[in-house]
Amino acid sequence: MAPTATSTEWDHEFHTLRREKLFREPPTDRSAYPLLQIAVNPHIESFDALFEPDGLIARGLADIDTRTFLDGDEKASPVGRNRVSIRYKNVQLQKAQLPPANKFAIKNRDILPAECRERHVTYRGKLSATFEYRINDDDPKEFTREIGQLPIMVKSKYCHIRNSSPAQLVAQKEESEELGGYFIVNGIEKIIRLLLVNRRNFPLAIYRPSFQNRGPTYTPHGIIMRSVRPDETSQTNVLHYLSDGNVTFRFSWRKNEYLVPVMMVLKALVETNDREIFEGLVGSPNSKGIQNTFLTDRVELLLRTYKTYGLYTMAQTRAYLGEKFRPVLGVSDTLSNFEVGTEFLRKIVLVHLGNVNVTEEQDSDKFRMILLMIRKLYALVAGDCAVDNPDAVQNQEILLGGFLYGMIIKERLDELLSTGLRLSLREYLQKFPGRSFTSQEFGKDFPIRIFQKTNENIGNGLEYFMSTGNLSSPSGLDLQQVSGFTVVAEKLNFLRFISHFRMVHRGSFFAQLKTTTVRKLLPESWGFLCPVHTPDGSPCGLLNHLAHKCKIMTKSVDASAIPQLAAELGVVSTSSAATDESVVVMLNGKILGWCSPAESRRLADTFRYWKVEGSHGVPLHLEIGYVPASKGGSYPGIYMSSEPARMVRPTKYLPLEKEDFIGPLEQPYMSIACTEPEITSGESTHVEFDPTNILSILANMTPFSDFNQSPRNMYQCQMGKQTMGTPGASLRYRTDNKMYRIQTGQTPIVRSPLHNAYGFDNFPNGFNAVVAVISYTGYDMDDAMIINKSAHERGFGHGTIYKVKKITLKEENRTKSTKNVTKLFGFAPTSLVKAWSRKTLDDDGLPIIGTMIQEGDTLCAWHTVSADYSGNLVNRDGQTHYEKYKDSEVGFVEEVRVIGSELGSEPAQTISIKLRIPRSPVIGDKFSSRHGQKGVMSQKWPAIDMPFSESGIQPDIIINPHAFPSRMTIGMFVESLAGKAGAMHGLAQDSTPFRFDEENTAGDYFGHQLKMAGYNYHGNEPMYSGITGEELAADIYVGVVYYQRLRHMVNDKYQVRTTGPVVATTGQPIKGRKRGGGIRVGEMERDALLAHGTAFLLQDRLMNCSDYSRSWICRKCGSFLSIQPTASPFVGKKKTVNTVRCRNCATRLDHMEDVDVTKITGEIWEDGQGNQWVGGEDTTLVAVPGALKYLDVELAAMGIKLKYRVNPKDAPRKGHLLQTTWDALRSGVKTNGTQPALVAA
Amino acid sequence: MSREGYQIPTAQSSAPGASSTQVSRADDNMGTTMTYMCGDCGFKFPLKRQDNIRCIECGCRVLYKERTKRMVQFEAR
Repeated sequence: MAPTATSTEWDHEFHTLRREKLFREPPTDRSAYPLLQIAVNPHIESFDALFEPDGLIARGLADIDTRTFLDGDEKASPVGRNRVSIRYKNVQLQKAQLPPANKFAIKNRDILPAECRERHVTYRGKLSATFEYRINDDDPKEFTREIGQLPIMVKSKYCHIRNSSPAQLVAQKEESEELGGYFIVNGIEKIIRLLLVNRRNFPLAIYRPSFQNRGPTYTPHGIIMRSVRPDETSQTNVLHYLSDGNVTFRFSWRKNEYLVPVMMVLKALVETNDREIFEGLVGSPNSKGIQNTFLTDRVELLLRTYKTYGLYTMAQTRAYLGEKFRPVLGVSDTLSNFEVGTEFLRKIVLVHLGNVNVTEEQDSDKFRMILLMIRKLYALVAGDCAVDNPDAVQNQEILLGGFLYGMIIKERLDELLSTGLRLSLREYLQKFPGRSFTSQEFGKDFPIRIFQKTNENIGNGLEYFMSTGNLSSPSGLDLQQVSGFTVVAEKLNFLRFISHFRMVHRGSFFAQLKTTTVRKLLPESWGFLCPVHTPDGSPCGLLNHLAHKCKIMTKSVDASAIPQLAAELGVVSTSSAATDESVVVMLNGKILGWCSPAESRRLADTFRYWKVEGSHGVPLHLEIGYVPASKGGSYPGIYMSSEPARMVRPTKYLPLEKEDFIGPLEQPYMSIACTEPEITSGESTHVEFDPTNILSILANMTPFSDFNQSPRNMYQCQMGKQTMGTPGASLRYRTDNKMYRIQTGQTPIVRSPLHNAYGFDNFPNGFNAVVAVISYTGYDMDDAMIINKSAHERGFGHGTIYKVKKITLKEENRTKSTKNVTKLFGFAPTSLVKAWSRKTLDDDGLPIIGTMIQEGDTLCAWHTVSADYSGNLVNRDGQTHYEKYKDSEVGFVEEVRVIGSELGSEPAQTISIKLRIPRSPVIGDKFSSRHGQKGVMSQKWPAIDMPFSESGIQPDIIINPHAFPSRMTIGMFVESLAGKAGAMHGLAQDSTPFRFDEENTAGDYFGHQLKMAGYNYHGNEPMYSGITGEELAADIYVGVVYYQRLRHMVNDKYQVRTTGPVVATTGQPIKGRKRGGGIRVGEMERDALLAHGTAFLLQDRLMNCSDYSRSWICRKCGSFLSIQPTASPFVGKKKTVNTVRCRNCATRLDHMEDVDVTKITGEIWEDGQGNQWVGGEDTTLVAVPGALKYLDVELAAMGIKLKYRVNPKDAPRKGHLLQTTWDALRSGVKTNGTQPALVAA
Repeated sequence: MSREGYQIPTAQSSAPGASSTQVSRADDNMGTTMTYMCGDCGFKFPLKRQDNIRCIECGCRVLYKERTKRMVQFEAR
């Protein structure tokens, strides 16, 4: 009997033995948690789509097409010059392998992802391209070039661990449930964010006031069509409505915008006439559309104004377009204007309808599509149709990471041929002017020498993209942002990690937008984007997460049968502008035909039935966007889509009781019952499988979330991701900079079945704690919580941080790393080894594993070497250098990894040291339950003083009752009840939301369980004071709640300073906790201090602890800048108080006329140059902020003089101290109005 | 291992743990040999300072340092 396959069915029970078995013997057939892999699959599948035989890259190469270059004089006419035309034949990617130069690895030459993590390098494979070129009309020749190393997505088709079973994965040093979907760049795991973009191949009616800025007469009305080529790159076409009724066609090409009259595009596409265009827009003369005078007026104007161009035939128009766009498109000189015009239409106009080898039929498809767009635009302007909301998921799709990656690769390949090769050829021809393309030398040099000159390392560019997330692209790839495409997949805990893959971003462009419309939670998102799982704060509503059942299509489904079926069901090619007469039927942005609104409904229903039934060749994942005709609603029609990048989600189709996949465009016009009882006969067509399908993976982990106030569930989604949990089981082979781990992870008693299905027991995120809700000591005020000291001593909430320090002796060079070894680890052979360094270091100069490291301890020793005559590396200076541990926390050396080079021919140059830092909970650390109830541990209360129940139970955690009334986290109460009952009966409690209702309440269900266990039905218990032993007056609500320890720990937070490092220019303290900087006392803090009248504190903060500085100033001219110390010719560089003079107020002796030294009043002083001066003695020392002096200097540089009025009252006064009485002082003020001291003086 | 069974490992030149001597001399040019563990096949082998970093069995490029045989002691509070 064959062994049974690993079961993948899970319910909410503990399954202790089954899990134990999975751990001990990882399955050799398949993972027990397929849902996890499904969650990540869109990423992997999108990458897989790139390098298939008919993959995206192959299609992109077809779009790049052949490039032709000419030799000889550039300014000469193309006639008589030799030509070389070149095209990509194919591009291949290889799995990650050792370079052939490495002769040492015999058995296994694969580079596994785990090795890349450990060695802090990139997981990449060799990328090579095969070119085919022909000189003039010779036979084509082929050659292959390596174009760099391309980062490979883990678990993609080009990854070694693609088909590994969990057992194999463990052997390959991976997690047993390794998901892949990310790249490894310099040892860091990076993922490409999913981006929301406009729905492809669908004319969006837009009202955008900024359209008016395009020029005079432009109105805010427009139709946007994001047209996607077969290779998933896109080109957006926009139609603008002008206030005079005209329409312009706008597109953006290589980051520049171009406007073309739409008539010109129409006339260029097909051989047509005005009547055809008129009838195509309005309808046949006997249709209702002809009565629409609004439309007919404008169409007439459209046709009339175009007459000024005097272009009548298709050939004329194309040649005209070609002439205008020749420099823009960068096409070869050999093409005629007509051909360039054709190229323009191929590359820019509605590229989804025909992109390579465009046929006449495809051009006519484009023609009809533009007519529809104009029709919709006029309907929009007339108010017959509503604007489409580009912020609703209905009109959006997802740009998958792999597709974006492919777009970049395609563009780089294109650049290599068009720009790189052209420059290289030009340079070659300049260097050897005599050589023509037909010469022998050229034939030899072309594949090698000329290509070497180009910037052919495409892999490097992609690695840069992955590591920075910045897009450096000449075309902008039709995207609205240039940075922020990639993020680090942080493995802080598993919840955070998995969330990265389900994260959907709206684009960083929208983050700057002042309006909040883009952030709104719209009903259209139902079932596609989780309403709960979005962060609060600046990314709120822009960074969403997919609902856990939402799937992203990565491949086109076969919809080839649809056009035929549509024709059979009565779709015709004639149409009318009146939408109550005929509506459009579209498939993937191609017009199949038109039918009446009533027919369209029948058509959509029929297709739906066939689709779910699986008959007639209608695929299950086809989206049938049936928009019913309405008065002033969305533009009606049937918009079908079978293409990738769509979101789909499963629901139950009622007529067949079968699973149907629905998309965001069709959903708003469907009636989908949320639960079975809500089905309305005759109206509902679908029902949800489960109401929890709308929640993301994380939101599903919140127990009883339907009992909570909604923001609390959002907070929990945030805090779940900040929890110090278990990042994985392969910690030994991970080298993340910082990893958090909880020592005492437990499985929650209260959980939903999805907890098991997603295998979260492999990555425990918290611990079950006995929680009492009581105001006990006063230390639980304001969200503080008290922890039982004995629980703490038993390891409650104990955690660890793993830090990895990478120490490399190689000089990090941007260009090419130097080959020479100049430093080696270890003590210099001839040097004396100090005993203090041997405390933490071994003989090899590397730290001893297991040793304790404190601040200032040595982490490793190294010395310089240079090669002697025989090539041996010798140390010559006898000096040992040390790397020190700079953190203030005690750590233990956990692992030391010596990292060799890829070639295996280098001595130790890099080591990575993993340090373990124990973090037992300390006062000030943050904890939270799973209901957005976070709190700070304020006290470890001795167990003897803790309250205890009648059964002798002491709480682990005490929280204050005031945490509940305003926050209304009833789910936490229910969890407490359920946890308590579950603990007593040994049950795992199902906490799926929406399972209880008014008749069957959760309180009753768990209350009865508690009652059966001998507890109070309500969960309250009498408790006794631990201090007095008396029974407390009230019964206390005690239960078991799953708690998380958050990563925010006081040890990482505290920041104090009196003196320390300062900014050199201003003298003010530097910023940043790491560098010992200060916290700014800002304007508001200053206001508060002012309001309190705490002048000394203010003085202390703003001056003494900041940029206090003493400076000399001239009283007379009031300047800091003119003072200078005198130089005595006798004393040398001695500085005393009274030797600072104002140069400005002084007079130079040799500039004075008839100097009589004896008559000069005042001392003669000398400056540094030996010039003698007299005067300028009225200087004084003042305390001023350093920033003020800085300002003075800066202003002086701009020619602005600052003059300070120094009050004469505190001038130094010579003579004896004046004795005055208080009264004398008062009277002095009265009489003179000046300072009494001066009067007295 | 019992406390009596514990032996101070006899490292090459100066006995480690001999903290009474303030200064010890580093070894000759070739450096001391320490054993490292291959990150792939787990083979343990000695390596000198200037040796290339690779497993002599399988050519693996990541080596782990072994846990010290010295007594590691610290106050556990």
